[in-house]
Formats: sequence, structure tokens, C-alpha cells
Amino acid sequence: MIHKIFLIAFALSIAIGGGAASAWMMIDRGFGFGAVDVGAWTAFPDRGTPAADPYSRARFARQGYLALGQAEGIAFTAARDTLGQPLSSSCTYQVEGPIPPSRLWTLHAARQGNGGLVPAGGALNSLAILRREDGSFDIPVSRDPHPGNWLRLTGTGEFALVLALYDTAVATTARAVDVQLPLIRRLACD
Amino acid sequence: MSSSPLFGGWPVTRFAYALLIGVVGAGIVHIAILFLLPYLAERDAWSRMAELGEVHETLMIEGEEANRLLANPDPLFLAAACRFDLDEGPVRIHAPDRVLFWSLSVYDRMGQNIFSLNDRTASEGQLDIVILKPVQMLDLRHAFPEDFATSIFVEADLEAGTAVIRSFLPDESWRSRVGDYLRSVSCDPY
Repeated sequence: MIHKIFLIAFALSIAIGGGAASAWMMIDRGFGFGAVDVGAWTAFPDRGTPAADPYSRARFARQGYLALGQAEGIAFTAARDTLGQPLSSSCTYQVEGPIPPSRLWTLHAARQGNGGLVPAGGALNSLAILRREDGSFDIPVSRDPHPGNWLRLTGTGEFALVLALYDTAVATTARAVDVQLPLIRRLACD
Repeated sequence: MSSSPLFGGWPVTRFAYALLIGVVGAGIVHIAILFLLPYLAERDAWSRMAELGEVHETLMIEGEEANRLLANPDPLFLAAACRFDLDEGPVRIHAPDRVLFWSLSVYDRMGQNIFSLNDRTASEGQLDIVILKPVQMLDLRHAFPEDFATSIFVEADLEAGTAVIRSFLPDESWRSRVGDYLRSVSCDPY
């Protein structure tokens, strides 16, 4: 009799404890299912839509965010430079290279907030970018002022860059994997 | 008693059997949590917005609120949002003025993005959208109101939901203009 009670309690504790713990871990960590990686940049075109996988759907519901729609645009984030080093506020970076066709784009610096990334520092947009004669441009990202398209950093520690493209054809997973995005090159560190 | 080998006086096969049931149970609990969480989440976008204002009231989503409600909030955009209840009739989202760029997303009660469009999809760039249930669309076809001649109709199988309107802020001098535009957005049942 005591065997039976022990075995039932054992099975139940594994079922409830293990099931809850594993679900919690997978949802909380948010393994990057559905991520589109392009160089240093990552986007989640399906996140916050009915097409998302159940894990990111559960995670998203818990965070309570409203995601950018496909006809609105797509946001790529980068927490590392092109060589894979974490972006640090004490360094100067150069963002250069092609940006996919879109009606307008914005680039801003952000930091990890309670749930997701929150803006911290400067922001630039495609209408106010200084270009060379061939249309190309580069963006120095630094705490110290730079000539040209300076993107201002504030504070210390790690940061992320968010490149948001609005009214663009690349806002779906199928198209987003083929795009070319700018390189993030580290120039110098304090 | 079974003829299984004993392990410290315990039948090993029974123990393994209980373990197996426990693991299968853990799988069921894991999946149940995963799929129930979106329905049970209490801090979802809808309830956060309920703290800020009434249903059918247009709310500016700025600063801290934008960081809490929007995925990847863009510092170069202003956003307004309203919750709507289709049981009170079709809801019309309308703004009299025009701005440089706006986009709109419709979210279901759980905060999933089900529809989006931008000013280029809309007729003459004007924000004039009617969200309704398929059965309300049938009713409307019988007696089509003239006010709706240029509206875009979004048939959605929803009881209630949220709409978010985002508008581009090229620089600070636009803040009051874009802010006034978003505050003028109406979100009333018809």
C-alpha cells in the first residue's frame, strides 16, 4: 500500500513539477524560434502574429507587447558587431552598407529594459541622412561627437542597435532571409 | 507480487513504470501550460490599456507606456491606440488630417496582430477604416451608409480587439503636428 502511494506521488510530482518547470524555462528563455538572422542582425517577422510558434506566442502573451504588423514594417536588432563581439558603449562603431528598399527607415540605440529593448541614446532616419554622391553613407556610433551621421550613445555597458524598415516588401520571413543589411564594424574602444 | 527483480525491497519495474507515467504526464502538463498561457495571461496589452482608459477611447502611447506596450518602440514614431468592442457595432477608425507616414495594426483580444496597413494602402492616404464582423458586413450591404464611401473595410472574426496607429516623427519640430493628428483619431462604434 505504502509503495503504491509513494509511486503515485512520485509520478505526479514528476508530471506537474517537470511539466511546469520545462514549460516555464522554454517560455522564459525564449529560444529564438522563428528568428531571421542576417549578419549581426536578427528579426522575428512572425512574432506577435497567429503564425508564430506556440513558445513565442506564450512568451509574447506574458510580456503583453503589441508587435509591428507586416504592412507597417520590420525591426532588425543587433546586440553584437559583425565579428560577434557584444556592442559596448565605450567603443566607437561604424554602420555601413546597404539597407533594403523601404519607404523610410530609422536606426536607434536601445538597451535591455524589463521585458524587451527600450530606446536609449540617439536616433536617425532615412530622410535626414547625409549621403555621398553615389548614394552610399556610413553612420558613426559613439558616445563622442563625430562629423556626419553621428548616432549618439548614452550611458555605459552594453547596448543594441535597432534598424526598423517601414513600408517594405521584406517584412515577411520568406523575403527577410534574402536581404542584405549593413555591417557593424568596431573602430576603437576607450 | 510480481516476479521482477527487487531494488532495496522495491520492484524496479513498478518504479520504472511510475517514472514513465511521470514523464508522459510532464509532457501533457508542458503542452497544456504552453497553449493555455495566452488565454490566461493577466498582464496582456488589453488589460494594461484598460488601466489607461475606456473602450473606444483613443490613447496616446508615449514614453514608459510605449516601452511597456509596444515591441521595439521607435523613438522616431508616435503611437496612439484604442480598444474596441464589436458587440457594440462596427468600429470606425478615422482621422480628418494627413501626415507624412502612418500605419495601423489591428490586434485580437490576446494581442496577436491580425491585420495591418499603411497610408499607401489607404485611399488618398487618409486614415478611414471600418472594422466589423462578417455578419455586420452583411447587414451593412443592405443599407450602405454614404459616410463609408471611401472607407476601407476590415472583416474580422473578433468580439473585441485593439488598434494601434503609428506615425512618423522626422524631427522634434513635427512633434506637436503628429501628436495633434494622433489625438484627432476617432475610434467610435457606428
